[in-house]
Amino acid sequence: MLGPTVAAYLVLSAILFATGAAGVLIRRSPLIVLLALELMLNAGNLALIAFARQHADSGGQVFALAVMVVAATEVVVGLGLIVAMSRKKVELDVDALTELEG
Amino acid sequence: MTAAAWLALFSPLGAAVALAVLGDRISRSRAGLLVSGSVLVSFVSSAYVLARLLSEHPEQRSHVSTLWTWLSAGDLQVGFEILVDPLSVFMMLVVSGVGFLIVSYATGYMRGDDEERRYHAYKALFVFSMLLLVQSGNLLLLLVGWGMVGLSSYLLINFWHQRRSAVAAGKKAFIVNAFGDATVALGLFLVIQRVGALDFATVFGSAEAEIGRSNTVAVLIALGLLGGAAAKSAQVPLHTWLPDAMEGPTPVSALIHAATMVTAGVYLIARTHVLFELAPVVLHTAAVLGGVTLLVAGVIALVQTDIKRVIAYSTMSQIGYMFVAAGVGAYGAGMFHLMTHAFFKALLFMAAGLVIHALAGEQDIRRMGGLGRELPRTTRAFLIGTLALAGVPPLAGFFSKDEILANTLDGGPLGIVLFVFGVAGAFLTAMYSFRLLFVVFRGKQSEHVQHHLHREPNEGPLSMVWPVGVLAVLAVVGGLVSVPGGWHAVDTWLEPVSRPLVHPAGWMEAFSPILSVCVALLGIAVAWRLWGQASDLPTALARRYPLATVALERKLYFDEVYDALLVRPAARLAVTLERVVERPIVAGSARATAGGIRGLASRVAATQSGLLRVYALVVAVGLATLVLVFISVR
Repeated sequence: MLGPTVAAYLVLSAILFATGAAGVLIRRSPLIVLLALELMLNAGNLALIAFARQHADSGGQVFALAVMVVAATEVVVGLGLIVAMSRKKVELDVDALTELEG
Repeated sequence: MTAAAWLALFSPLGAAVALAVLGDRISRSRAGLLVSGSVLVSFVSSAYVLARLLSEHPEQRSHVSTLWTWLSAGDLQVGFEILVDPLSVFMMLVVSGVGFLIVSYATGYMRGDDEERRYHAYKALFVFSMLLLVQSGNLLLLLVGWGMVGLSSYLLINFWHQRRSAVAAGKKAFIVNAFGDATVALGLFLVIQRVGALDFATVFGSAEAEIGRSNTVAVLIALGLLGGAAAKSAQVPLHTWLPDAMEGPTPVSALIHAATMVTAGVYLIARTHVLFELAPVVLHTAAVLGGVTLLVAGVIALVQTDIKRVIAYSTMSQIGYMFVAAGVGAYGAGMFHLMTHAFFKALLFMAAGLVIHALAGEQDIRRMGGLGRELPRTTRAFLIGTLALAGVPPLAGFFSKDEILANTLDGGPLGIVLFVFGVAGAFLTAMYSFRLLFVVFRGKQSEHVQHHLHREPNEGPLSMVWPVGVLAVLAVVGGLVSVPGGWHAVDTWLEPVSRPLVHPAGWMEAFSPILSVCVALLGIAVAWRLWGQASDLPTALARRYPLATVALERKLYFDEVYDALLVRPAARLAVTLERVVERPIVAGSARATAGGIRGLASRVAATQSGLLRVYALVVAVGLATLVLVFISVR
């Protein structure tokens, strides 16, 4: 098998995931949070495809396709919400949106 | 025929349910008419059943009708069944007949009361309960009627629930009656254990074999039944509730506490006489209780000052006679006195109701006097009732009381003692009843009367006057159904159900009336000397014997003794338990639990900040922890 080993892909995937998670936890703009979420999802995709290649099993790739669909729909809904918020002049800051507190 | 009996039973219940459902969508006068109509239906059906029974052979006059199996527990099957036989038809006629007159009277008496409809509904419920009690075909259904009669009596006694005394009286009546219900229930448990059935035919049929084997069991069962009978019929020492029950409206006193419910004890003894005869000791106890009650109540009635309380004590005393009769085994005589007593005592109560009505609610006889000139018709009705009560021939009370006295003469040594009691009671009866008559209707008009008497044409609304008239006629002629030395219609009629144990000889039937009439006339003469004319003899007597007077005015301290022995210890126990158990343990634990959960909840709620990033952090940290745990533990 040519190219880097699975471990290399997994390391890259872990870095991507950690970057995404850090973005979700640290950034306050919902737009950036959404971007960071995409990063986390694609980190997962990378891991799936790496394992699929190692096992020579296309199941992982199919699953990655499904994740992309979910990611696309999620972005549609998320961006729609953000656009609606900015139209209504709601401040675009996730820390300000605390109305669901118990 | 049984269909007519069922109709008689359920017609008042239908009226009660209709009133409860309709609420104020039915007018007050229609509510009264509905109830009196339903009781009239019961009376007509009962009369029809009587006519059908009369056409049958005396030994075959017993019909059981079962609607469904009401209770089924192992081998014990109890049906919802009624028994139609001479005894139950006799009671049905008394209850529905006198009941109809009193319910009609009540439509006039209660007119204008705020809660007239509730009153009528309760009254219909009472008539249903009483009919259930006398018609039931087994001991369990009898106990159901027994308890329901107590309940509706309670509801009617504290009908005027704004009055504290009425509420207290209702509670007292309920508690004493519940005591009786409990002893009856205990007796029934023993019957179930021994016989394994509760319907009259099986129980009485196998009583001799199953219950008679053990004297103790027979005595215990009879004692249980006697406890219930004495409580319901207000016999010493369970009598204290009846005088207080006079807090209820006067028609209630007439119907429940004179004519029907309080006589249920006598009916119970006559119905279950087979069980009582297995334990003669208890039967004799019943007779002695009756004898003591008739004297005690008669003496107390001499000094009471509330018109209704005097009549209430007189009721106790007359039921004492019935207990004496039932106790010596003269069931027919007891039932006969029950019937005539229903006539003349209801008459007395209703005439007293007319007086109270005319005086705008005044019941104290010391504030009455000289009413004879103002209320001539009421006076005549009261006079008839008083003469019948005192046993003056040829009124109803004379025949029935003397039948009882004649029967006691045949009851052996105990019978002789009871006869003496009865004759002394006849003297007291004449004395207190004429005292009431003289004090209320003769003498000078008091200031209160002059100010408060409001005169009406006919001395009251028509609906109140005509039942009094009918009862006056019945009180005069009602005794003629049984004449000493002639015929004994009641005895003969009841013979198939409850065969009497005593058979008075001819001389007894001649001797006892003569003696008791002489004694009654003597009592009237004494009453005339004391209260019939202006005289200071009563006050002089009271001053001469202050101890006796006070003891009688305090009703021989029965209430005080019960208060000290039962009520106050119970209250003290309740207060102690409240302080030691209820407040620290029961309420305290509930309060601590609630407080703890509330504190925990407020602490948990603090984590719900609504900050999305905090939630995400918690999820991430949790996930990371789990991953680490799974990797390291494996």
